[in-house]
Amino acid sequence: MKRDPTDAIFSALGDATRRQVIRALSEEGPATATSLAAALPVTRQAVTKHLNALAEAGLVTATRRGREKLYQISPQPLTSAVSWMADLGGRWDERLASLREHIASSKRRR
Amino acid sequence: MFNRADEGRPWRDASTDAVEREVVLPAPPEEVWPAVSQSDQISAWFGADAQLDLRPGGRGVFRWHDGTERSVLVEEVEPPHRLSFRWLPFQRTGANELVTLPSTRVDITLEEVPEGTRVRVRERPAFSLGAQPARASSTLAGIGS
Repeated sequence: MKRDPTDAIFSALGDATRRQVIRALSEEGPATATSLAAALPVTRQAVTKHLNALAEAGLVTATRRGREKLYQISPQPLTSAVSWMADLGGRWDERLASLREHIASSKRRR
Repeated sequence: MFNRADEGRPWRDASTDAVEREVVLPAPPEEVWPAVSQSDQISAWFGADAQLDLRPGGRGVFRWHDGTERSVLVEEVEPPHRLSFRWLPFQRTGANELVTLPSTRVDITLEEVPEGTRVRVRERPAFSLGAQPARASSTLAGIGS
């Protein structure tokens, strides 16, 4: 089965802790697993697991800093997720315009 | 969709949480309901042929002209006010390939207004269902909590 890349992004965002991690990185800038664990109500081990999942989906990138990795947001996949949602909205704009026509023509037929 | 200052931070104020649209139609909810719930009428405006088993737990399938097919699970049916269904997380392309996609839930609500019926559509990725509201102070409100 093929996987739409957006699917991986939404799956990665499907966890509340991972969304907290994304939020913390976007508000505070690049951080290590240790500093994220200090800011969030989860262990360093759990944060590392979530960071790996986010990195796999391309939502964060890691660069080595001494003995630790420094994680930062990678904006492009979030942009894709946002534009995927915008496409959904665009499709409903078309459908609702067409529903309006459908109702109008049903009324004319009566 | 973003202003320039936010170009580097597209998730600020941008929603990955839900899309919401509405339209006011010059007919009462009793007349609009069949248009949004009966398979033959949905097929007239949706952009795809619909076959919907209109009951909670019922299955449905939408077929587009390019051969794409996607299934839904009907979740709530409250004539003439509310229809909810969930897109299943995959679709079959015209080339007969299965492609996974984010599952989303669609809520269509009809509300009687003096001009006729306000139709509201809300489509949300599965993860935001039942999630706590995002903190008001968050710059990531769109990502959900």
